[in-house]
Amino acid sequence: MNKMLSYLAALLLLVVLVAVDLTSSGINDTEERWKSFNFTRPCFADAQVMQVKKSVQAVGTSDSPAEWLANKRIGVLLGSVHDTYAIKQYPQATILQYKTPSDLVLAVKSGKVDAAFYTHETLLELLRHDTDLALVGKPLFSVPIGVGFNKRNDTLRTQFGAFLKQIRENGQFNDMVSRWILQGSTQTVPVEGSRANGRLIIGTVSDKGLPFTIVKDNRMIGFDIELAERFAAWLGKEPVFMDMEFGSLIAAASTNKIDTIFSTLMITDERKKQIAFSEPYYELGASVFALKKNVSGPEAGADHSPSAVSSFFKGVVTGFQNNILHEKRYLLILDGLKTTVIISICASLFGTLLGAAVCAMRMSRHPLPSVAARGYIAVLRGIPVLVLLMLIFYVVFASVNISPILVAVIAFGMNFGAYTAEIFRTGIEGIDRGQSEAGISLGFTRTGTFMHIVLPQMVRRILPVYKGEFISLVKMTSIVGYIAVQDLTKAGDIIRSRTFDAFFPLVMVAILYFLISWGLMQALDYLERATDPKCRRRKAGRA
Amino acid sequence: MQTEKGWQGMIQVTHLSKTYGDVTVLKDISLQVEKGEVISIIGPSGTGKSTFLRCLNLLERPSGGSIRVDGIDLLDKKSDVPRIRQRMNMVFQSFNLFAHLTALENLTTGPVRLLGMDKHQAEQQGMEILKLVGLAEKAHHYPDELSGGQKQRVAIARCLAMQPEIILFDEPTSALDPTMVSEVLAVIRRLAKEGMTMLIVTHEMDFARDVSSRVLYLDQGVIYEEGTPHQIFEDPQKDRTRAFINRIRSFNYCIDGPDYDLYAMNAEIEAFCEKQILPRKSRHNLLLLVEELLQVYGQQLGTAPLELRIAYSEKHSSLEITAEQTGEPYNPLEPAAHDDDLSLKIISGIARTVTYQRLGQTNRVTVALG
Repeated sequence: MNKMLSYLAALLLLVVLVAVDLTSSGINDTEERWKSFNFTRPCFADAQVMQVKKSVQAVGTSDSPAEWLANKRIGVLLGSVHDTYAIKQYPQATILQYKTPSDLVLAVKSGKVDAAFYTHETLLELLRHDTDLALVGKPLFSVPIGVGFNKRNDTLRTQFGAFLKQIRENGQFNDMVSRWILQGSTQTVPVEGSRANGRLIIGTVSDKGLPFTIVKDNRMIGFDIELAERFAAWLGKEPVFMDMEFGSLIAAASTNKIDTIFSTLMITDERKKQIAFSEPYYELGASVFALKKNVSGPEAGADHSPSAVSSFFKGVVTGFQNNILHEKRYLLILDGLKTTVIISICASLFGTLLGAAVCAMRMSRHPLPSVAARGYIAVLRGIPVLVLLMLIFYVVFASVNISPILVAVIAFGMNFGAYTAEIFRTGIEGIDRGQSEAGISLGFTRTGTFMHIVLPQMVRRILPVYKGEFISLVKMTSIVGYIAVQDLTKAGDIIRSRTFDAFFPLVMVAILYFLISWGLMQALDYLERATDPKCRRRKAGRA
Repeated sequence: MQTEKGWQGMIQVTHLSKTYGDVTVLKDISLQVEKGEVISIIGPSGTGKSTFLRCLNLLERPSGGSIRVDGIDLLDKKSDVPRIRQRMNMVFQSFNLFAHLTALENLTTGPVRLLGMDKHQAEQQGMEILKLVGLAEKAHHYPDELSGGQKQRVAIARCLAMQPEIILFDEPTSALDPTMVSEVLAVIRRLAKEGMTMLIVTHEMDFARDVSSRVLYLDQGVIYEEGTPHQIFEDPQKDRTRAFINRIRSFNYCIDGPDYDLYAMNAEIEAFCEKQILPRKSRHNLLLLVEELLQVYGQQLGTAPLELRIAYSEKHSSLEITAEQTGEPYNPLEPAAHDDDLSLKIISGIARTVTYQRLGQTNRVTVALG
């Protein structure tokens, strides 16, 4: 009973966390925060704005984009401080929330929104490569970012404070700022350190974007990553990175799934309720960007006519190079592919066994197991898999150190089991009782009758439906990114966050999913043919 | 496996009963089956013939009584029931062949998996048995490629492949086209000739008469009458048996007084005739006879209710009208009782026989027709 209550409490906590983090729309009055942080930038922030003006032309008629934005469609990152700010400042505007930075950029490029908010520092990096986009005016405000900790882990927070103080004093911090943020470098500096004191689990978001976190050559690099590695080395611990959805980070820290968050985490009052922050280590600017032609009038848009058709193929080739070959991104895809296949196969095996057990209970003559199985099927079929996945990860295994892949296998397996149980039942009930009776009266035991007479026929009957269910399971696994599993979809997202190219990664991921499904379907088709007696005889006849 | 010694009374059933909830299907059945006996079980539908057979190999669990096969108590939890079933196979009304196996595989799966027979040997034996039932050329066909009669013959062959000592037949021809019945019966006849012990639930009366050594007439949840085929079919002792054997359908009507509703009664008699598919002439004669008979009774109808019963024997295609009335002895057939005897003349003109009987307090008039 106590266990149930604590689960219930944890469930409530999760719901609150997710609600706060995903939709954080003005639960708290944030105006004060803007005021208090607006002018407290560290000195290098100014230098960095100067850099902007040199390297990237900020276009627009006025320095303040406020008027310009008033009745536009504005894109923001879901749950970000920009989200809250935009809703508050531009009540006339339409605010559209996107889940990843790459989606945000694509929305601007494809004209789904007129302008979008994003981190100034990342935008600078983006605009170096993308000439279609331009900043609208100067940064509107800035927000302090810090490192997040579990509220009860005060020691670690104090240690980080001491560490930060030390590297600021010895110039290491300034060196990092100049390398990552000012020069836009993507070179890593190896961090040496003892790993004697155990592991430091660090939550991060791999597609945050430069200069903070990106994936290059199939590993995460960036300012945040280097800072985390240096901190781990300072503690004498091995850094272990967990790549998660941004919305899951805080929930993960407050349920002790991770020790700390290094992910350009803006310090806000709502978040302070859930986790503890270090002192700010940086001030992030918030800027608005839009298509250059929309901001600066006709002369900028004119030079942007589409080229000849032949350039399409050139585009595909460059796309392939950029999205697959560059920085060994194919490794990312391969790893993701492997994870997707492993989760699909393991979950379907587990689900099939579980389904068989639930089916046996469901068909039991005793009321207790039958009712339990009915309940299981009803509940599992009534819960979205994503919610089930998060419940198992953040609530059931809240305090257990368990591989997210295993959690995914359990969650998808449980869901799959509920469906297969019913598939099995219809399969068994579809075979007339007479055959079982004939088997029994011939002298088979009940088990023998099932194994030799019912099962072979049932398998053949259910395979078409089972195949369909299996394929949807494969595709369903694309949501495991929520619990920090890097599968095929997530790999595509990471690449998109680097290249801001929608076409190539999405189409490739789609093709790969199709190929996995197709391959696995062939295997099941083979099984179907093998269990079809008529087909067997035709083969024998030919031989 | 087969020791002659212990096989004296093969099956011994004592006080077997079976109820489903409130419904009692079998009340109290006791039976002893000897080796080599062929026992036909007949009776109206719904009297538990099939249930009785299914109780014998525990496809249905009896509610009471005991079943001993070769001295082994089937209802004892320690008994190895599957092993006993191997020696006492069953043939079903709906064939119940294993749909995923060929005819031959249907025959080999049991011996290979249950008797531990070598696969090759089982196939050889299977082919021989298929030859015996005339289906060797269908050995590699699947059940859904066979006709009903062929399926049932394969099902019988499947039983034989297990080398059983007893075979229970549960209405083996009821699901068959009339054209296919004879091929299946021929196979069973052959088994009977070879001395197989069999219990056969059937509606094929001629077959039961030919093949059985003993016939059980099951009715009202008990063995209502039993005997040799001759006793049961030619000279049944009890009313229900007789009605069943002669396939008699009857219609009852009670006349309360002289002011009865002739038209309503005629309509009911017409409906009964319709149901029995009687020729128009018989129908016409029947109506005329009933009307004239009631005419003969006249004012006598006022003394007591008259029970009118019309019985039709399908077997002999004959009709019989019985009129019963309690009271003082009264024979309406005596011409003295009437002023005019036209009605009587009509009756004796149409009817084959007309008889009067005094049974206790009852006057009974029987008119036979056709």
